Amino acid sequence: MLLSVRNLQTHLHLRRGLLRAVDGVSLEVAEGETLGLVGESGSGKTMTGLSLLRLLPKGSGRIAGGSIQLDGQELTTLSEAQLARDIRGRRIAMIMQDPMTSLNPVFSIGDQVGSPLRNHDIARGTALRGAVVDVLRRVRLPSPGERLGDYPHQFSGGQRQRIVAAMAIGCTPRLLVADEPTTALDVTIQVQIINLLRTIQDDTGAGIILITHDLGVAASLCRRIAVMYAGQIVETGPVRAIYRSPSHPYTQALLAAIPRLGAKRGRLTAIAGQPPSLIDPPTGCRFAARCPSRMAKCAEAPPVVDLGDGHSASCWKLAS
Amino acid sequence: MSGPMLELDGVTKHYTTRRGVVRAVESVSLAVQPRSTMALVGESGCGKTTLARMILQLERPTAGAIRFEGQDVAAMRGAALQAYRREVMAVFQDPYSSLNPRLRVGTIIAEPVLAHERPSRAELDKRVAEVLDVVGLPATAARLYPHEFSGGQRQRIAIARALALRPRLMVLDEPVSALDVSIRAQILNLLADIQAEYGLTYLIIAHDLALVEHFSSDVAVIYLGCVAETGPTEQVFAQPRHPYTQALLAAVPLPDPDHVLSEAAALGEIASALDPPAGCRFHPRCPHAMDICRTTRPLAAGSPHITACHLPRTSLP
Repeated sequence: MLLSVRNLQTHLHLRRGLLRAVDGVSLEVAEGETLGLVGESGSGKTMTGLSLLRLLPKGSGRIAGGSIQLDGQELTTLSEAQLARDIRGRRIAMIMQDPMTSLNPVFSIGDQVGSPLRNHDIARGTALRGAVVDVLRRVRLPSPGERLGDYPHQFSGGQRQRIVAAMAIGCTPRLLVADEPTTALDVTIQVQIINLLRTIQDDTGAGIILITHDLGVAASLCRRIAVMYAGQIVETGPVRAIYRSPSHPYTQALLAAIPRLGAKRGRLTAIAGQPPSLIDPPTGCRFAARCPSRMAKCAEAPPVVDLGDGHSASCWKLAS
Repeated sequence: MSGPMLELDGVTKHYTTRRGVVRAVESVSLAVQPRSTMALVGESGCGKTTLARMILQLERPTAGAIRFEGQDVAAMRGAALQAYRREVMAVFQDPYSSLNPRLRVGTIIAEPVLAHERPSRAELDKRVAEVLDVVGLPATAARLYPHEFSGGQRQRIAIARALALRPRLMVLDEPVSALDVSIRAQILNLLADIQAEYGLTYLIIAHDLALVEHFSSDVAVIYLGCVAETGPTEQVFAQPRHPYTQALLAAVPLPDPDHVLSEAAALGEIASALDPPAGCRFHPRCPHAMDICRTTRPLAAGSPHITACHLPRTSLP
């Protein structure tokens, strides 16, 4: 297995108290596979992604438990220096949501795309320029050779996201973590970036974790889906199983709450209430307070129920 | 009276900047019928928010007229203008920046009322409690501050504020795009209920096409300041005629793993409104572009389903 995460616990030490942002997440990503990590804001999907690279908020964020293995190598015990040298940007790279803030406005794009290549000794000196042009060509940036000296503001939003992708794939990482890579983009540009991610994967065989709140984007790109709610994965399985036969009441509610193109007009099925606070989360099932099929048993932590073919969900209803 | 509640007639907005003239909105004509929901869709920078701002009188059109029940909004003065301002209200995208953090919710909701009326303390409190009830918040919410509420609740507060003067037209600028999926449905259902109950007319700005199909009765698809296609939502979505509308619809990722996305429908990137393409503004990205598209602006044709495109209707895919 390319990536194997077991019982990951990530804590944020805030003034308000200890926030359990990621609370017992386990997931796997195979080579060349795209796993969609879907959920709403505050569900812990971004914190899970940042934990893999140990890019948690300085001072407050800490991996408090669990294991992260990349190609069998344990990452949680690595020193910061080892992680920076061998893993971050080299074997695991990240594409962030907003290409305007993940690019530095005062450096040319040639500098920025070249910097991971230099830092990780992929190319230097006279070969560097050629390597940068090559990687920009791979992300389909038009006439890359003439634009190395240009600055981020001289590019459109879609082009900037291509440049961010180029920074991520320059060192041919084994795993790409893409956090809402299309959310800031218009829909006709979004489809171009979705196709770019697919091409990158076909070319490099990298595993991808796609973090998104958009169930449409996840469906178009992912082979497997993990649905997060309040710091935990509540359901995981092959993409068809999740969309065709969602089993956790939260997944069902989420799919029922979105308007669908071409579907009949009618009232949307809203999910009442709000997610719980992760500073003092409820014991037992975290979705129980909003769940239409709540039972007395839901006050205890639900078991992970295997539904076959790699599809599982944490719910008492499925256990009985 | 019959006829449209709101009418845009050749509305144009140009901004003069140091770098040149930004042609944000170019000769837009639309009619919004009473009790209907007109959606303006298009990608960022297409001018949909500028249009809304002109309707709210936050901007003045460079050319063209906006008429509310037949009256030219730009010519309104005094009492007529006051009346217009209480009949047309807005709900904005971000409930974190649209509510003053230093004011209590009750004060926020009372503010527009006090700008127009002199109610007694008791009357005012009653009005605030009433609209809070309409949006599903307890009367006690009036004593709290915005930060004590979640995003969805804040958007309810913004809707309550807009409702406090019993307007007839509400401009909803991306009212749910800052909210989480599970909360969006709550707010959309609430807006639908309020519309049915009070007979409101909505003008909604949105980029989410599935939401627009679900929520609106009429739609105008805008590209670089021009209306590409407009008509009853059902017709436009079932049989999109303009290549841009077709491209937009083809690019929407559906929550269905067997759906195949099409990138080919809109090539390249949106041009700049500083130097928009001549002829049809969509022609550089259009897979069907012909010679005439590069030189001549297409005229709007059809009724009620209107399309501005040179392709003969019969040959449209």
